Amino acid sequence: MNWRVIARTDAALASAPRSTRLVLVLPAVTILAAAYLYPVFGSDPITTARFSGFVDGWLATVVPLTGVLLGHDAVVSERESGSLLLSLSLPHGRGDFVLGKVLSRVGLVSGVVLVAMVLGAGLVVYPFGRLEVVQFCGFVATTVAFGAIWTNLGIAASLSTATKQRAFVVAFGLFFLFVLVWDAIADGLQYGLDRAGLVDGSLPDPVQFVFGLEPGAVFQRVTAGFFDPSASVDGPWYLGEWVALAVFGLWLFGPLTVTYSRFAGSDLS
Amino acid sequence: MAAITANGVSKRYGTVTALDRVSLSVEEGEIFGFLGPNGAGKSTFINVLLDFARPTDGSAELFGRDCQADGVSARERVGVLPDGYSVFDRLTGRQHVAYVVRSKDADDDPAEVLERVGISAAADRPASDYSKGMKQRLVLGMALVGEPDLLLLDEPTTGLDPSGAAEIRSILREERDRGAAVFFSSHILEQVEAICDRVGILQDGELVAVDTIDGLRQSIGGGTKLLIDVGELDDATTEAVRGVDGVETVTVSDGTTLEVTCTNDAKMDVVVELQRRGADVMNFRTEEASLEEMFLAYTGGSRA
Repeated sequence: MNWRVIARTDAALASAPRSTRLVLVLPAVTILAAAYLYPVFGSDPITTARFSGFVDGWLATVVPLTGVLLGHDAVVSERESGSLLLSLSLPHGRGDFVLGKVLSRVGLVSGVVLVAMVLGAGLVVYPFGRLEVVQFCGFVATTVAFGAIWTNLGIAASLSTATKQRAFVVAFGLFFLFVLVWDAIADGLQYGLDRAGLVDGSLPDPVQFVFGLEPGAVFQRVTAGFFDPSASVDGPWYLGEWVALAVFGLWLFGPLTVTYSRFAGSDLS
Repeated sequence: MAAITANGVSKRYGTVTALDRVSLSVEEGEIFGFLGPNGAGKSTFINVLLDFARPTDGSAELFGRDCQADGVSARERVGVLPDGYSVFDRLTGRQHVAYVVRSKDADDDPAEVLERVGISAAADRPASDYSKGMKQRLVLGMALVGEPDLLLLDEPTTGLDPSGAAEIRSILREERDRGAAVFFSSHILEQVEAICDRVGILQDGELVAVDTIDGLRQSIGGGTKLLIDVGELDDATTEAVRGVDGVETVTVSDGTTLEVTCTNDAKMDVVVELQRRGADVMNFRTEEASLEEMFLAYTGGSRA
């Protein structure tokens, strides 16, 4: 149960600075703002299930930012300063240490998302909306997992670098690539191929699949396929929601597993 | 059971050999001083024990548990003051100790621990504001939590003034008398000489000697030091003394005091030689060789 001590200590330390609180407020404000605006701008029927399709695009931008900001310094700042050595001098294994960090940071993001979603559901349902419990719970869980994916990507950056600065660059590189320019690359490619007469309107399915591997795209496909009744997923089987769910799982555990195994085998000083 | 067992531990970084087949054993209830110039590999050895570094060859155990394969349980009975640590940014001294108490599932009162290492007045200040000496005291206090059976301390007296260092030494003696093994590294000889039951000397990654202080003195050949006050002293006399069989070094201090290191047998020959030269011997004292001289003898004079 060593990870509990690590997680508890880290959560208390990480949530203290004002900068962390600002970062955590970001997804909460986004969810609440969306929940406030959705009944005004959304089309009937107003339900918490259809709310997922309204808010998921916003979350696909904001949650990654929160995740990498919160995750990127989880391990490397202690490694760089040397306080990591105090923790690992105690009967804590490196696995306990990283697990504690992950639970602490993912827990902070998840907690904020959960609270905001519950309040947001209230805003959607009152006065004219309808609560669809099962889909909404599924959507909240998916959003929490999406937050965990990006927090884990931040922590993976933290595990694979030796200085806080480099971890920041790697984590933000991922955010920049996947969240800010990914769609533009896809659009540019589509435009170019279309102009060259190689494709007709949209990218070939296998290429779409490759571009669809990005965590935000996967998140939106899972949401559309499972939880939002107003949206649907079409195309060949590998563009479907079940494959998306599997890819989602890979993102959740893959990067962390790979970078942790390297961290576990390295000399710390 | 041995607190520390090292079997041929080697550590290479590329072509650099930081540790070369170090084997040693430290028993419970003894204070073991790990001595060597800076860069000799002392911290690398301790880092292997703590699993911060993996040995290239050989293995190390704490209380019979492999430091690499079974690191967590190996560290359960150990209190550590590591090299190159830093305190947690936003925790007070008291919170640091409380963190260790929780981690080790111990029941120490943080206030008592801080009292023992002499920083209870600063208990509720952030530890990052502490001076270097206070941080050392804090981390030593953290190491004492849970009555460990082994204290593993890397240069514990760094940053402390002489009286602080003496306080630390008396704490280490108390711990030893309680039955714990104490293993500490230092490049400061007086620290080691003042307190250690046994000493290991590390030079360029090799353990060149392991013995008690007395044993080291013996093995270096008596190593007596003579302090002779003479009425007058000229260079020819000094040279003549230097020429006596068994004399290792001769230095002159204050113009009229000869400091001679020599084997035990040569003591009288030195005095006879001075008489023969007509020097007027006013006073004559002998000193045991200090660890410093032994250390220089072992490490080829390259004291850091």
